[in-house]
Amino acid sequence: MTTKQISIRRYLPERDDAPFWQPFEVPVDDSTSLLDALHHVKESLDSSLSYRWSCRMAICGSCGVMVNGIPKLGCNTFLREYDAEIRIEPLAHFPVRRDLVVDMEIFLEHLAAVKPYLIDDAQQQEATETYRQTPQQLARYRQFSNCINCGLCYSACPQFGLNPEFLGPAALTLAHRYNLDSRDRGKAQRMPELNRHDGVWSCTFVGFCSQVCPKHVDPAAAVNQGKVESAKHTLIALFKG
Amino acid sequence: MHKPPRAHPPLPRNWWLKHRFFIAYMAREATVLPLVFFIACLLAGTVALLRGPDAWQSWLGFMRSPPVVALNALALAASLYHAWTFFQLFPRVMPLRLGKRAVPASLMVAGQWAGVLAVLLLFVWLFGRA
Amino acid sequence: MTKHHPERRQAYDEPLWWALFSAGGVCFALFVPSAVLFLALLLPAGLLPADALSHQRASSLLFGLPGLIFVGATICLPLFHAAHRIRHGLFDLTLGSDGTNKWLMYGAAALFSTLALGVVLLGMLR
Repeated sequence: MTTKQISIRRYLPERDDAPFWQPFEVPVDDSTSLLDALHHVKESLDSSLSYRWSCRMAICGSCGVMVNGIPKLGCNTFLREYDAEIRIEPLAHFPVRRDLVVDMEIFLEHLAAVKPYLIDDAQQQEATETYRQTPQQLARYRQFSNCINCGLCYSACPQFGLNPEFLGPAALTLAHRYNLDSRDRGKAQRMPELNRHDGVWSCTFVGFCSQVCPKHVDPAAAVNQGKVESAKHTLIALFKG
Repeated sequence: MHKPPRAHPPLPRNWWLKHRFFIAYMAREATVLPLVFFIACLLAGTVALLRGPDAWQSWLGFMRSPPVVALNALALAASLYHAWTFFQLFPRVMPLRLGKRAVPASLMVAGQWAGVLAVLLLFVWLFGRA
Repeated sequence: MTKHHPERRQAYDEPLWWALFSAGGVCFALFVPSAVLFLALLLPAGLLPADALSHQRASSLLFGLPGLIFVGATICLPLFHAAHRIRHGLFDLTLGSDGTNKWLMYGAAALFSTLALGVVLLGMLR
């Protein structure tokens, strides 16, 4: 069996003040994912390694790490794709708790701020009716609804890196997704968040968020469509006085 | 009770040098620098035109100097690179629908390049003759 | 949760800058390549017909309604496009404060746009 070397940026706050790089030699074949390699390290080489994971099939969104500086899901990144060095770090732009585990509190706050759920006050009184939605109505928001909240787009976004108060790609995409949903009546509640400097207007369409998104959601498109919506909203507000 | 989020370490000023994608982004943003130079030339040209034939001749002389030509050649390259990136962004920011069908992005990009060509033909028509 | 009051912090000016940036971006992509090619490369190289841009012909083209459109499409709107990108570029490079940069950049774009349009209007009045 062939082996490959991976380097992991370790951080053990109770032992060291600063992070350090630690190399590991792991067995690989064509189907070895990065997550498999991390499992091997933890089970056979160093049980003190901390990392998050759950589903192994790119749906839970917990195993995000930086691989050679690019945010990736460990479970759908394969070591066969790398010839030279493989350097694994915790997700960028988030505070590191230990090893590959980051504090995503601020990401969750930004998600909550845009009320990412169906809001329909009329429906809540007599919530017995089912919603009807045509395929065309579904098609309007479908792509933007595939987000798994993995946070890779936040690690890819320099604007979030420069300004953590920026709502960021996933939150703005989710806001747009619900605004586009024919069942939703909550747009008026979400727009004030989007209209802020830290809302859609901090985005400069770097576009890296859409490159790294494991579900091909294209958050950059959603955020910039949000700018069009915000501009319309502002114009209407201006005329209403 | 709201706990203020703990910020990550701030990005270093040279963050964009760390990855090819970010270098391409910064190059796209920097296309406006030669553009500003060209606009300055153009503005000087309009002022020279207003001041009279002598000023117009000396502006033409200024435009012939090698560093000015070099910077304006850079501005042409920058405007084409900008067009290449900008045209691709447009269908993502404003997806168009014709009836129930979405207009394919490639068609929208091609349409915009056709616009560039049309303007070029307009300029040939305007300045290709005395 | 009374985290903040988003409705009190609306960026009412940003749609205007973004609209000008977008319009300028379209002009930068559509009109500027031909303008640079003809006015800044072919003309100085002497590759245009001799009198294509003599003082008289250039004046008659610029000092009129087509001239106003030309100046809008190759000077004014591209200036606002450039101002927007430089403002965000300065933020990307963590230079200065965005509040100041913003007014410096858009202020300069407005100033030089006014100057360019003023030159054309003056020429039309002569």
